[in-house]
Amino acid sequence: MILSLKNTFSQIGSATLFASRFFKEIIMPPYETKEFLKQCYAIGYKSFPLVAITGFIMGLVLTIQSRPTLVTFGAESWLPGMVALSLIREIAPVITALICAGKISSGIGAELGSMKVTEQIDAMEVSAINPYKYLVVTRILACTLMVPILVFFADAIGILGGYAGINIHGDVNFRRYLTQIIQSLEFLDVIPATIKTFFFGFFIGMIGCFKGFNASNGTESVGKAANSAVVTASLSIFIIDMVAVQITDLFF
Amino acid sequence: MIKEKKNSDPKSKDKNQTPIIEIKNLHKTFGGDNEVLKGINLTVNKGEDLVILGRSGSGKSVTIKCIVGLIEPDQGEIKVFDENVLNLSKEELNKIRVKIGFLFQSAALYDSMSVRENLALTLTAHKRDLSPNEVENEVMEALENVGLSDAIDKMPSELSGGMRKRIGLARTLILKPEIILYDEPTTGLDTITSREISELILDIKHKQKTSSIIITHDMACAKMTADRIMVLKDGVIHTEGTYEELEKDEDEWVRSFFESVKL
Amino acid sequence: MEKESGYTWKLGMFVSVGLLLFIMAIYFIGKQKNLFGQTFHISSKFKTVSGLEVGNNVRFSGINIGTVEEIRIINDSSVIVSMVIKDEIRKFIKTDARASIGSDGLMGDKVLTISPGPKSTKIIEDNGAIASIDGIEMNDIMKSVKKSVDNVGVISEELAIFSQSMNNGNGALARLVRDDKMANSVSNTLSNLESGTKGFSENMEAAKSNFLFRGYFKKKEKEKEKKQEELKDKKEEQQEKEVKEKAAKEKEEKAKEEKAKEEKEKQEKQKAEDAKKEPEKKQ
Repeated sequence: MILSLKNTFSQIGSATLFASRFFKEIIMPPYETKEFLKQCYAIGYKSFPLVAITGFIMGLVLTIQSRPTLVTFGAESWLPGMVALSLIREIAPVITALICAGKISSGIGAELGSMKVTEQIDAMEVSAINPYKYLVVTRILACTLMVPILVFFADAIGILGGYAGINIHGDVNFRRYLTQIIQSLEFLDVIPATIKTFFFGFFIGMIGCFKGFNASNGTESVGKAANSAVVTASLSIFIIDMVAVQITDLFF
Repeated sequence: MIKEKKNSDPKSKDKNQTPIIEIKNLHKTFGGDNEVLKGINLTVNKGEDLVILGRSGSGKSVTIKCIVGLIEPDQGEIKVFDENVLNLSKEELNKIRVKIGFLFQSAALYDSMSVRENLALTLTAHKRDLSPNEVENEVMEALENVGLSDAIDKMPSELSGGMRKRIGLARTLILKPEIILYDEPTTGLDTITSREISELILDIKHKQKTSSIIITHDMACAKMTADRIMVLKDGVIHTEGTYEELEKDEDEWVRSFFESVKL
Repeated sequence: MEKESGYTWKLGMFVSVGLLLFIMAIYFIGKQKNLFGQTFHISSKFKTVSGLEVGNNVRFSGINIGTVEEIRIINDSSVIVSMVIKDEIRKFIKTDARASIGSDGLMGDKVLTISPGPKSTKIIEDNGAIASIDGIEMNDIMKSVKKSVDNVGVISEELAIFSQSMNNGNGALARLVRDDKMANSVSNTLSNLESGTKGFSENMEAAKSNFLFRGYFKKKEKEKEKKQEELKDKKEEQQEKEVKEKAAKEKEEKAKEEKAKEEKEKQEKQKAEDAKKEPEKKQ
């Protein structure tokens, strides 16, 4: 019990060191622009279909599920605003981040883990390529920047899904629908949610890299790295979300 | 009966040769009680191929990983090009690493990249101002050195074990190293492919004028490539000499290697 | 190289569309909040803002034209509300426009409504101030509504009783209203009475003028009064027995009616007496 607690703390400690190394390395040249773009493509563009499908379904389902309650109160006209609000403030960021934790974090964990196990990271080291810079910084940075963009897409597609959901029961003009949404939104709904997603992205990338980079030798540890990357990243997303909501609540 | 040649100074043998790698009293312990290296002393001279023989777990790989700074020893001194590797900063160490090629046991090709990218990455990491054409030429040249210029657009997963080793070798060669460290270059390959690799090692030695340390337990490879052989036992140098000298050695431990070849 | 450009354009498209979505969201929300485009400010002083908040809509002719920008309390009885309004609306807002605070919908989001003034033609200036109509507090509304509702309750109850007795009762007024004959006979009686009293009054004048009869007349008058009082009481009792359900109101009504009649009779008698007395005096 005490040993596992100590293990957890030492994990958190080395993860913190790992993360702080990111900020040190990111400002120092050389910059691996090409690898960064490649990672952006792999992380952002390749995750888009998954995020799009989830986003659409979330919007649709949320609309259909909230409808009966709002109808009870005779506030059916609030449906678009409510769906958009919950999508943008909470659902789209968190669901997208979880999807990314599942796809990206585990992918990075497995990739770096297998590179570690098959000595590819050592090979980089001995050919004087900084593997942290080449593998880790590019991935974390790509994650940090791509996850927010994926969330924008999830927001937009979720709103489209909500429109589809509303049209199951009634006929609402799309322009009217959008106006209702815009009317119910404020900067306070969009900006904190967006800032939050950068943290989600950073942690998804960081945890994936950390777990992969520190995989022990042996093929088994690759699977372990991928698995624990997903679990840890998902958990940290909820923790960040809680902290972010509290901070937002505190200041506004 | 035991003719231990511990702490033998190679300089005394041949004073004309300049040592390029010097290791003195190297110790390394893993996990608190697993002492892998118990005071290794060795010297590699310029233009010399040193073969380190030893059974699995005798600390061969750890020794050469210490040379390139992948593993930090607990105690001892490692001098490469007359510089103490252990006291160098990261940047200085990287300057030395560029001059040392390292062929990993598994070849360690970057799985996500094609052969071309594998080679180009290593090259451009150090020569960032090269034009794409120059990079292409250098990559082709390195691949021609290992005789695999037609594999340039393949992915590592499409290559056989022998080809991987050769591409790995090409990747180390592209930086034109002065020292090449081979970590079990023939392990896991059939005898014919092993022979090809051994020939390639010899070929490179003559063409590029490199010095090497070759870690192996494959006597055929050792016989072909070795200028000098060291036998490692339980973390210390047990015996050293040329292939011919060791062949006549009466020591049981040394004999066991040669007998395995004869069988 | 060609492989590289293969993904670069996809990545570029992905990033630019994503950022475009974000910028569009920011722009439209900003437009909604009047952050972009020409705006002007006006302010108004209220006693209370009834929960109006920064960001609430400002309406003119029922159209959202701006938002509340700042609510500032200046002393214990006045609050200054300043608002941002689209510049294109400015030409419609005159200097005598008035601001009031109301509720939007059942859930009670407050809105600030600007109503046009009666006569001014001068367009309001930027940073100008307009008068305010003090918001009606919900409590006040509830109080006054309760009062009037109570009154209405009492009135309607009385009205119901009254109309029922009018339709079903046998009171004089009811019969008078329902029955034509009765009405005719009453009017006949009245005219007869008129002519009868004339003659009678003459006789009486003569009698009264005699001082011997004076005391008698006075006595008679008093007796008559008493008799009528008794008669009235009897009648009331009778009626109560007959129609127990009928409320006191009706009785009163009837009593009044009766009294009125009595009064009339009395007056007539008085007149007659007066008329008798007059010649007496003259004599």
